[in-house]
Parts: sequence; C-alpha cells; structure tokens
Amino acid sequence: MSSAYLFSILATAAIFTLLALSLNIITGYAGQAMMGIAAFFGIGAYTAAIITTHGGNFLLALLAAIVVSGICGAVLGVISLRLQADFLAITTIGINFVMAALFNSLKITGGTLGLTTTKPVVFGIRMTNFHFFIFTTVLIIIVCLLITKMRHSWFGMALASIENDPGAARSFGINVSKYQILAFTIGTALAGLTGGLYAHRMGFISSSDFAFVVSIQIVSMCVIGGLGTLRGPIFGAVLLSALPEVLRFADDYRELVYALLLVIMVRFMPGGLLGDDSPVWKFLVMIWRKIKPRKKTRADLIAEKAAEEGGQA
Amino acid sequence: MEELMRIEGLKMYFGGLKAIDGFDLTINKGETLGIIGPNGAGKTTLFNAICGVYKPTAGKVILEGKEVQGTPAYEMAKMGIARTFQISKPLRGLTIFDNIVAAAGVQEYTGIGSYFHKSHTKEIEDKVEAIIHETGLAEVANKKASDVSLGYLRRLEIARVLVTDPKLIMLDEPCAGLSNFAINEITELIFKLKEQNRSIVLIEHNLPLTMRVCDRITVLSYGKKICEGTPEYVKNDEQVIEAYLGKEDED
Repeated sequence: MSSAYLFSILATAAIFTLLALSLNIITGYAGQAMMGIAAFFGIGAYTAAIITTHGGNFLLALLAAIVVSGICGAVLGVISLRLQADFLAITTIGINFVMAALFNSLKITGGTLGLTTTKPVVFGIRMTNFHFFIFTTVLIIIVCLLITKMRHSWFGMALASIENDPGAARSFGINVSKYQILAFTIGTALAGLTGGLYAHRMGFISSSDFAFVVSIQIVSMCVIGGLGTLRGPIFGAVLLSALPEVLRFADDYRELVYALLLVIMVRFMPGGLLGDDSPVWKFLVMIWRKIKPRKKTRADLIAEKAAEEGGQA
Repeated sequence: MEELMRIEGLKMYFGGLKAIDGFDLTINKGETLGIIGPNGAGKTTLFNAICGVYKPTAGKVILEGKEVQGTPAYEMAKMGIARTFQISKPLRGLTIFDNIVAAAGVQEYTGIGSYFHKSHTKEIEDKVEAIIHETGLAEVANKKASDVSLGYLRRLEIARVLVTDPKLIMLDEPCAGLSNFAINEITELIFKLKEQNRSIVLIEHNLPLTMRVCDRITVLSYGKKICEGTPEYVKNDEQVIEAYLGKEDED
C-alpha cells in the first residue's frame, strides 16, 4: 500500500470522524433527532469553496464556514422547538433534500457542475492528504477536549437532563429551548467547519456529496459506534470509512451494507458497539480495571458506607 | 401567619373544557396545605398552571407580592417553586447522585456561560450528600435511576426538590403506586419537612395520610373549590362527602 493511498483514506476517515462528532453533540448529548447533518456539512463546504475560489484565505474561509453553517443551524434550532422526535427527524430529512436541490441548481454553487477548489496553501505549505490528515486530527483532539470539559460542566448537565427528560429538566431551572438551540448551533457550526475541510481536500464538490445518503452514513457511524459517547462516533467513523476500502468488491452494495448494519445495531445493540451497555465495551472495561482500578466517585463512597452500616444493623 | 403565595381567580381552559374554573387559594409560610378531590378534579392541572407548565387562561398567581402567572416553568424553579411529578421523571441514564446534582444546579443553567462552570464541585457534592442521607437514598447513590424501584424514585423526586432549597414545595401524589411500607417512609419524610418549617402543598389520594400531615385542606371538584378548612372540618363537610361518594337519591 502506497503511503499516498493510506493518507488519502486517513484524511477521509478523519474528516468523517469530525462530522460524526458534530452530529453526536446534537443527537447524542442533547437528544435531538437530526437526520440532515449533510445539509450543514454542505453549507460549510460551499461557503468555504466559494470564498477560496474568489481568492479568499483558506483559514478565513473555514471560519466563514463555521459562522454561516452555525447561523443556519440556529435557525433550524428555533424551528425545531415546536417539533418532537419523529417530526424533527422528518423535518431535518426534508431540509437535507431541499439543500441538496439548492446546491444542484443555484448559480453560486456551480449548479450540476459543482465547484472546483485548489489545494490551499497554509503557512507556505501546499496541503496534501497528509497535511489534511494531521490538521483534522489536531482539530479532533481539540474538539474531544472541549467536549470532555462540557461533560463536566453545568452545560453538559443541562444537555444530559434534556436528553433524559425535558419535563424534569424544566422543573429544575433548565431553559430547554435555549439549550436545544445552542446544541444545534454548536453541532452545525462544527459540521460546517468539516465541510470546509472536505471541499478543499477533495478538490471538487457537487450536490451529491451532501445528499441524504451521506446524513444516513453519519448517523450509522454514531449509532454503530455508540451515540452519546466520545469513543463511539470516532470508532464508528473510522470503521465505516475503512470498510469500503476493505470491501472494494462490494462497492455497489455499500449503501445496502450501511443500512443493514444500522438495522442490525438498532435491533440488537441500540447503545452501539462501544456504548456504555454494550458487552464488548463492558468486557474491555473489565480488563482495563484489572490493570487500573477505577477511582471511586463520591456516589460510590456513599453507597459503600450505607451498605456497611446496613450490614452491621 | 405570613402569606407566601396567593392565587386569585385562576382559570385554565383547554378549548371548551374548563379544567380549573375560577380558583382562589392562599398558601402561608411554614404550613402544609393539602389539595384533594376526586379523579379528574383538576389537581395536577392546578399544579401545572401554578408552576408555569401551562399558561393560565386567566387569574393571578402572586408570589411574595409579585405577580408571576404565566412565567415559564424553568423561571419558576429559579424563583424557588419546586415540584415533584405524579408520574416520576428521573433522568434514567444518570446515577441517583447525579440526578440530585442536576437539580442542585438550578441557579447555574444560564446558557453558554454554564459551559465554564464545573458541575461536580466539592460544595455541590457536600450538599447532595446531605440530601441523600436526609431522604434515605444512600444505598442506591451510585445506581442508575433506571435500575432502582419506584419507592426510591419517589424519594429521588423529593430529594431533587429539597436540594434546590425552595420557598415552596409542591408534591404531586408522592405516594401513588407505593406499598404501605413505602408510604410510611414517605410520610415520615414529609413530617421531617414539616419540622423544618417548610411550606408545602400536597396533592394526595391517600386521605388518611393527607388528614394526618396537613394543617389545612382544600377540596377541588370539577375545577372549583368546594370546601376549605382544617382536616376535621373538611372530613365532615356534606359537599365533600357528596363529591366523593355521590348524592343520596331524594325519592
């Protein structure tokens, strides 16, 4: 395997990992059914591509992709306040189709011909697949750190509460609508950034790159890996990005494989391969605990003490 | 007695259905007030209209001299009105401990700013631990809420209310679906709250329990108040007996 080929796969995997993480913020942490992430991926991609083809700076183009996609996401967030679960899913599917049709027909997005981008030059380096891989991986690490911090903050607690029970969340002071809009904005902004990277790594984008099928691929990555965890979407994205390379001979049936995997997972392992309740993950944790025992939380200490006292009484 | 909350002419209509039709009530500081009534009388609707889950069709809710009717539920929670749910609403994926931490953050959920504040601080954890002992949840503190029995979930509802240090505690059928043993435990807990001089409004179908713990009882029937007074007075009121048991045939 040539290293150019390897880095081309790795760059793709890294970009889809970042996209899966963006969906995970909306669907995994905040619990909002989002089936049209590719629309925002596309908004970011076209925004960045339009800017650089008009001579704009690549990094500024990425920034614009974040802002434009995030604003569109905020608007969707406001609309979605009136919608629950299934209806929100259908609405976001609709938005994906509408956006794909717009990309395919607007003059500014190149219509059916799409847009051709040039490989950007950052700090004097012309970016190759290798550079895209490194750049995206650094972004993934930053995003993971930011998400970890979120999980330990009141912001993360608010999203977890909403995901579990919006009614209960309201009863202890959480403005559910506000947090839903924030989750949509942050998730779609990140999807926009990913789109900007994708457009320049591919060198060419057209509306089919942002079709509904792509949204389903991203959902599959999250669900197969484990929604609502950090490791799940990363694992799912790497797995599903590598799969077509391994299953070259089955290229025509790729969508069928995704769909089958998705159905099988939802039926038999809804938490995902590496979700908290998955036997695979539990087994891995068990082995890891043999090496490094778990640090006891305050809750563990309280429960242990109560069990001891109960035993004595 | 000092007044905490006053409700004046509260109406809650759903289309043509008059769930609450002109309701007045005064809740005093430090008292335990019971709201009883036959099924479908509008008790839970009344709670929802007071707590901001529903926007009342008309009428006033006055909290410490300030009109608060129609304020969204999350704002009411921040103002110190804490309620439990008839059908308990645990955060199933979280531990009992974290469920209480989530409620303890009532003043912390400010939007994007809340990203910069850690949730599990020592201060918060100390507070949560104290409440866990008070409500008897210690042995299940590290269990997921999806894995504990209804008795614990009912106590969790009360723990989440207490941890916010509220001005007014509103309990919506805290004993529904519990065994006699578990009912006694919850009753004990309510008596403990009474000793702390907390202001409590209690909806309960278990009449003996309501009679025992409440200082005053209001009876609701078809969205209207039909009687109010001490448990002794209410127990012997003809209209109340009629609402519960029906009217004797005149012929």
